[in-house]
Amino acid sequence: MSNTQSEDKKAEASQQPQQQKPTVLEEDDEFEDFPVDDWPENETEQASGSTNGNNVHLWEESWDDDDAAEDFSKQLKEELKKVEASH
Amino acid sequence: MSFQGNSVLDRFLVSLAEIVRDRDGAKLQDFLQIEPPLPDVYGQMVDELRQQYPNGSPKEVDLQRRCEGLVPKTAGSSSWTAFPTFMKLYFCFLRDVNVENLLETYNMLKVLLNQCVIALGDSQFGIVVLPTVLYLSKVLAKLAMGLDRRPELVAHLLRLETGPDQEESTEKVTLVEKSANVVREAFIKCLTDRSGTPGVHGKPEGKRVGIYLMANLCLKLLFQCGKLRNAEQMFASITAQSPPLKHFPASQRVTYLYYLGRYLFSNNLFFPAQIALQAAYDQCHREAINQKRLILTYLISCNIVLGRFPSMHLLQRPESQGLADKFVPLCQLIVRGDYIAFREHLTVESPTTEWFARKGILLPLRNRCEILVWRSLARKVFIHGGFHGDTQGQAQRGPPPFLYLTKLEAAVRWLQSQHPSSSPLSVASPFSLNSKVSANKSQYGSQIVSIIADPDFAFLDTKGVNKAAPDASVLAKFADYLCPDGFFDATGQWQSNPTRSLIDGTPDTDYSQYELNPYAEDPEDAIDEPSPLMREMESILASLLTQGLMRGYLTHRNPRFAIPGARLRGALPTGFPNVWQTIYARESEDMGVPGWVKPPPTMAAPVALGGGGRVVNLSGARPVGAQ
Repeated sequence: MSNTQSEDKKAEASQQPQQQKPTVLEEDDEFEDFPVDDWPENETEQASGSTNGNNVHLWEESWDDDDAAEDFSKQLKEELKKVEASH
Repeated sequence: MSFQGNSVLDRFLVSLAEIVRDRDGAKLQDFLQIEPPLPDVYGQMVDELRQQYPNGSPKEVDLQRRCEGLVPKTAGSSSWTAFPTFMKLYFCFLRDVNVENLLETYNMLKVLLNQCVIALGDSQFGIVVLPTVLYLSKVLAKLAMGLDRRPELVAHLLRLETGPDQEESTEKVTLVEKSANVVREAFIKCLTDRSGTPGVHGKPEGKRVGIYLMANLCLKLLFQCGKLRNAEQMFASITAQSPPLKHFPASQRVTYLYYLGRYLFSNNLFFPAQIALQAAYDQCHREAINQKRLILTYLISCNIVLGRFPSMHLLQRPESQGLADKFVPLCQLIVRGDYIAFREHLTVESPTTEWFARKGILLPLRNRCEILVWRSLARKVFIHGGFHGDTQGQAQRGPPPFLYLTKLEAAVRWLQSQHPSSSPLSVASPFSLNSKVSANKSQYGSQIVSIIADPDFAFLDTKGVNKAAPDASVLAKFADYLCPDGFFDATGQWQSNPTRSLIDGTPDTDYSQYELNPYAEDPEDAIDEPSPLMREMESILASLLTQGLMRGYLTHRNPRFAIPGARLRGALPTGFPNVWQTIYARESEDMGVPGWVKPPPTMAAPVALGGGGRVVNLSGARPVGAQ
């Protein structure tokens, strides 16, 4: 079955020569073994994160876009005005 | 290693006996090398084995007997018989293995590991072979995964192996899956060790030190062969029988939480997956960039589905290299609200899709994030086209803020006109004659949900097939004429037509030109006939309301989305609450992660004696001044 997969990929590649060659599973997809078994908490990601900047902010919770000047919003606004006028 | 005695084999056996007596598992593993290049002394031992105990000769029995001498004889209790058999297999492996033939090597190694796992099962001595089991498992896994990546190396051998006598109905099990099954046996032996305190109150002692080492290796193999479902029982067993994860070394914890998070992610349990992956990231060694990048790939995906985007700070870290290019455009599309652009970005043909698909995050992102895109669109249409209520705050009894859904409909049609070429809708509506405007004109099927055409059914969309079957609208109008319950045939005999089939075959006349229209205007424009598109948008908004991602209610007649109770906080925050906070409030009631064993909660000292146990239910209380 893995054989047919690779054949499929070959077929795809020949159909679309302009596309990149099919990527086989890359090494970086594999979770490597750690070179050491254990480490103290002060060598963890969390420790380094909280020392440089107190509890750095990793995630954006508020991402709603209220910028009326942004291109998409501007076009949408124009479009909705047209609808309003036609009614 | 240093051997005393005559031959290398003699000295090797003497040393082994000492190691077993001392129960030195690490040293045993160090002795039992199998991976080339082996030190010269192993070569000498192989020569001796070939001379003294050739393959298939009756002398092999003597070899077995010598191996039996390695195990201490204890009176009364059963001796460790699995170990001598394992040792004999080890010597045979060294003697016979031909690493040129990878499949044969794999099979021999699997038999060897199997026997080692049986030896691991001994309640007294089993633990001595635990490091060896781990070592052999790793070599087997490496070999299986290597062969899996290069199927052409073993294709011909596999064909020979599965001869014609094999039943076709038996499911083919890949080498990787076979390896996972062996490793799982070892995992079970570690988990079910009866010495010491078992379960959540226990510590990693005895064979239990190997629980997560074996589990992680097994999970790696199961992910590789795509048999994640087989992991379910493992997680259930761990939950039931493992000591808390925190007692195990950091490398095992991080690796386990990574696989657990990915497992939960692929089961659409995004919130617990997010907790597990965040913990994996936090506990990871800060210099383990590659591991951190892999964890982040799934952690970011989880968070986006839950309505939280990676910050620029996170994306600028060294482990995030390359991730911003993948995730930032996606987040921007969610914010923008152009659902067609979002779909185009993650469509099968799109060049960006390849990476997402390889990581196994394409479908979750595509299916779970579109609702967020719709929320953004509805929000923007409300901002620019909705009634925002009396902002002066004077009219206490004025109407609540609302949005006419016709405006959203207009916005959707405008979006469709902006993406004329893409129109997955032209594929989705099989009866469309003009693909360019199909989205707007189609009376059938979905107006906005894209359905990817199955290549087997691709030709159903063509006009040729269209002619074969009459248009459903034609049938609806003229069925009493085209498919009556009976008719007079050419000889004047009455023929009943119980199946209501087309008595004159497929009609080839355009009936619309014969139709009298009694209405002064096109009935499609009538207000009380909402378009199918409107119906679909009502469904989407209803879904958003059910999920709490929008708040308010819908009116069906004269379709509107209304936002009551917005006077205090304003229409936008009330009607379109923060996605992450909404989901977090709902999901955080249960912060437990299935598969992650935590120490049992210790009894907290009572804080205030007077207040203990008295709970006041405030759910029915009304805010001050409410009427």
